[in-house]
Amino acid sequence: MWKKGVTLATAAIIFASAAANVSAASGRDYISIVGSSTVYPFATTVAEQFGKTSKFKTPKIESTGSGGGMKLFCAGSDIDTPDITNASRRIKYSEYEKCQKNGVTEIVEVKIGYDGIVLANSKAAAQLSLGKKDIFLALAKEVPDPKGGEKLIANPYTTWKEVNPSLPDSKIEVLGPPPTSGTRDAFVELAMEGGCQQIDWIKARKETDKKHFKSVCHTVREDGAYIEAGENDNLIVQKLEANPKAIGIFGFSFLDQNGDKIQGSVVEGEEPTFENIAAGNYPVSRPLYCYVKKNHVGVVPGMAEFLAEFSSEKAWGEEGYLADKGLIPMPAKERQQFAADVAALKPLLMAK
Amino acid sequence: MESMSAVLKSGGALFSGAEGVIQAQVRQEDKTPREDRLTVGLPFVDDARMTCRGVSVFYGEKHAINNVSIDVGRNQVLAMIGPSGCGKSTFLRCLNRMNDTVEGCRVVGDIQLDNLNIYDRSVDVVPLRAQVGMVFQKPNPFPKSIYDNVAYGPKIHGLASSRAELDEVVESSLKKAGLWNEVSDRLDQPGTGLSGGQQQRLCIARAIAVRPEVILMDEPCSALDPIATATVEDLISELQEHYTIVIVTHNMQQAARVSQRTAYFHLGDLIEVGSTDRIFTNPRHRLTEDYITGRFG
Amino acid sequence: MLVGKKESTMDRVNRGLARRYRRERWFRLFGLSAIVTSVCFIGLLFVSIGANGWSAFQQTEILLDIHFDTEQFDVDNLSTANYGALVKNSMQTLFPDVAGRSEKRELSKLVSSGAPYILQKMVMQDTGIIGSSQKIWLPADDEVDMFQKGYILRDVMEGDRRLSDKQIGWIDQLFAEGRLEKKFNSTFFTAGDSREPELAGIRGAVAGSLFTLAVTLVLSFPIGVATAVYLEEFAPRNRWTDLVEVNINNLAAVPSIVFGLLGLAVFLNVFGMPRSAPLVGGLVLTLMTLPTIIIASRASLKSVPPSIREAALGVGASKMQAITHHILPLAMPGMMTGTIIGMAQALGETAPLLMIGMVAFIVDVPTAVTDPATVLPVQIYLWADSPERAFVERTSAAIMVLLAFLISMNAMAVFLRRKFERRW
Ligand SMILES: Nc1ncnc2c1ncn2[C@@H]1O[C@H](COP(=O)(O)OP(=O)(O)OP(=O)(O)O)[C@@H](O)[C@H]1O
Ligand SMILES: [Mg+2]
Repeated sequence: MWKKGVTLATAAIIFASAAANVSAASGRDYISIVGSSTVYPFATTVAEQFGKTSKFKTPKIESTGSGGGMKLFCAGSDIDTPDITNASRRIKYSEYEKCQKNGVTEIVEVKIGYDGIVLANSKAAAQLSLGKKDIFLALAKEVPDPKGGEKLIANPYTTWKEVNPSLPDSKIEVLGPPPTSGTRDAFVELAMEGGCQQIDWIKARKETDKKHFKSVCHTVREDGAYIEAGENDNLIVQKLEANPKAIGIFGFSFLDQNGDKIQGSVVEGEEPTFENIAAGNYPVSRPLYCYVKKNHVGVVPGMAEFLAEFSSEKAWGEEGYLADKGLIPMPAKERQQFAADVAALKPLLMAK
Repeated sequence: MESMSAVLKSGGALFSGAEGVIQAQVRQEDKTPREDRLTVGLPFVDDARMTCRGVSVFYGEKHAINNVSIDVGRNQVLAMIGPSGCGKSTFLRCLNRMNDTVEGCRVVGDIQLDNLNIYDRSVDVVPLRAQVGMVFQKPNPFPKSIYDNVAYGPKIHGLASSRAELDEVVESSLKKAGLWNEVSDRLDQPGTGLSGGQQQRLCIARAIAVRPEVILMDEPCSALDPIATATVEDLISELQEHYTIVIVTHNMQQAARVSQRTAYFHLGDLIEVGSTDRIFTNPRHRLTEDYITGRFG
Repeated sequence: MLVGKKESTMDRVNRGLARRYRRERWFRLFGLSAIVTSVCFIGLLFVSIGANGWSAFQQTEILLDIHFDTEQFDVDNLSTANYGALVKNSMQTLFPDVAGRSEKRELSKLVSSGAPYILQKMVMQDTGIIGSSQKIWLPADDEVDMFQKGYILRDVMEGDRRLSDKQIGWIDQLFAEGRLEKKFNSTFFTAGDSREPELAGIRGAVAGSLFTLAVTLVLSFPIGVATAVYLEEFAPRNRWTDLVEVNINNLAAVPSIVFGLLGLAVFLNVFGMPRSAPLVGGLVLTLMTLPTIIIASRASLKSVPPSIREAALGVGASKMQAITHHILPLAMPGMMTGTIIGMAQALGETAPLLMIGMVAFIVDVPTAVTDPATVLPVQIYLWADSPERAFVERTSAAIMVLLAFLISMNAMAVFLRRKFERRW
């Protein structure tokens, strides 16, 4: 028994190293995709469709987050690295630079559509109508002194009515994503900073002290009014159902799927509906991207075909299957342009 | 050589009072220099199977055996007696290097088996222990069947070439140990399921199944009834014709019955050695006398 | 001692007796209530998961009359035929009144988007059906399924649910005609992952878990036991072995993600092993479970009475013989318990697998340890994060499967232990 164990272990190690060598030598016959968990539901839908309708294998899609995906994507240009990374924001210059440095010189940028970030509450409560400024005042760590003057104090508001007399007299209780999440970044940037800019003297700071401006506008309060609810949006929806006073922040798909339980808050007079977000009226929406390694096209089988599938009208069009999954399509013109860029594999040029 | 002058210096004061006093004195006496503690009697024999010279054993800091020199005669039974904790087991375990397995145990001195130092670096303990078998103080059968217990030694040493031969070895060993009649119909049952006395006899059978040349027995009869004891004693007498035996016992009658020579240990010192008849009829050392007359220990 | 009153020993004993028994009663009550509470919690967990998940074992299906029109098929290229049209046409014949593009679209959405591929597979397997008409049960769309299971309510406003009033009318009609039924969801056990809940299954994740655990077991058990035996029986006690021991104990407490990082750095970057492969997952989990196995194995080696060792050495067994013949068999139940606990830990682990790319969408069921794969807990995590409501019940169902695995593993541990113990 003892000897058998030792033999087994040796066999396993030999086998393991052999297998590793084989795979390193023979390359890859499936597309490897990494990146944002926001894009994951859409990319996987395309991948599955692609796997079923083409002669190629279904691509493998890892949910690593936008930043994690970029890191893997930019690690090098050889076949072990991912072919495509998804991002719920645009590539940063620093990431672009790193890519270039590691030999990933030609990257094709594909915008695939938009994602609305909604504030929603239970149907048992009244629908809210918020301005960006209300959102900022309710959720920032420091806000201008309500007594006037250009002074910042720790956020004193405990009810929505205190923020804005037209809002209901209920406690501020917001369930949202943690700082590690891309949804949080986008929310802070689009909603909070947007509201922040509506305060003139803070906006003036943007020119003089950009760092301070950012820290004021982007810092979410930590006194319990904003509750970090984890990365799982389904959990937030469940909690909203249980607690009609609470408001949740998450991606549009989750509102779309749970329209019978929760309602989206009106922001700056716009309802978070599919049409409104698609038309660009709803203010808290962000573009979603994927980035393609050009030198893998033609090396990894099916790359060109997969990109064609992704950028086809039946996928990302207004009536496409991605819209069913909650992706907000780009306007027709933008779609045409990106589809053409993808087909031509036009590399991204980025300047500082 | 057997001279009274070798008696411990402080011996006179030793035996004057009650037991408590003796203990106190003894502890004090421990500090006396080594040279003064000489063994009374005849520790050496002409035809020695094993010779021990200046053996001391330490358990870490504890000095358990003090400079003991003694011979074990060929085809003789040497009985070791002495109060509990005096180091009989410790000394016995030196003879087949069982002390090697004890963490922190250190043996100094010279122990020879057939003129070969068993503590020499070149000596392999595996054949040594096959040659010098042991029955432990506490019965410790393997948690296997009775048959496997006895057959284990012969198996690992390749002493039986066929199953039938092995069966025979097992049967004869169990018979010698006086256990055969009780277990012959349940050899496949676990050895641990036997009674304490039966287990001890099983361990004896296991030890003799290897046919060692020297057998060390640490209180082999402590858990046995008089009938089983008699069987074992018969076995010892029988074995003695071909084997050399060292036996530890608390039973003075037993020592008198089975052994040719007797050694008396006291607090790590070998106090007195001599022919069994002489020790029991005419002990020379006060400690020995007190012990065997039941006044002490 | 006894001053004044003379009290017999028995009086004193009896006086204290009530208190002693009271203490014992309290202790027993404590233990019992602790056990009852934990059993209640476990029961609650099982009940809630079961209540959420049992419905996933059924799937709504729709009976369609599919006419495999000969004209639709090009015998040389069966995969390109328009199978979607077959489904659409048969729905159309069921509801001839439906007109207009958007209404037709709504109608065809009642059937799963995977239905055409099921037909494709049927044709590929047996070209004989071309030209015939067949009655075929096809999976309904997940929204229909949710509606049938009562997770989408009829009485909410039309705009707030993902099924229109019209669609509900069609569903009712199909149901009345006996063309819509809940059937056992075999897809759940035979398919890999999918973004369409009605097509998603756990087969891929189960296979991935099995491959990963197999690698883990094959490596960690012998290595762990060998290490424990070496440390316990052979290694000298000195500062180095103390250091090793401290390190092993520390490793047992290291957060599992650290092993993932290590795996990424060593197995992927240095050895160039493939990402997302059960082989690497198994290696990483081996690192994670080794300390558990080593510690458990050492403890069980220590618990073997030294008299057994002495007995073996005393008849002239070598050290290795004493270990393999006597000590290992006696320590084996404890070692196996440790190993199975380690395996169960490994089975439930997701964090280290994230680093080596096993948190991924993988449709194809892996067939080797180098194929890309995911594992059960990762599948649970990914489904739990999916917006589609039908994944909620599938998440619970997958948890039930995971629990079933854990329970059977532990049952096996108990069984093996019994078996080994009975031999002595
Ligand atoms: N493993 C050990 N570690 C430390 N001290 C020990 C160890 N074994 C024995 N001793 C000590 O060595 C001394 C001699 O012990 P030993 O077992 O040899 O006594 P003994 O003469 O066999 O007694 P008994 O008749 O009770 O069996 C005792 O004081 C005992 O406490
Ligand atoms: Mg003893």
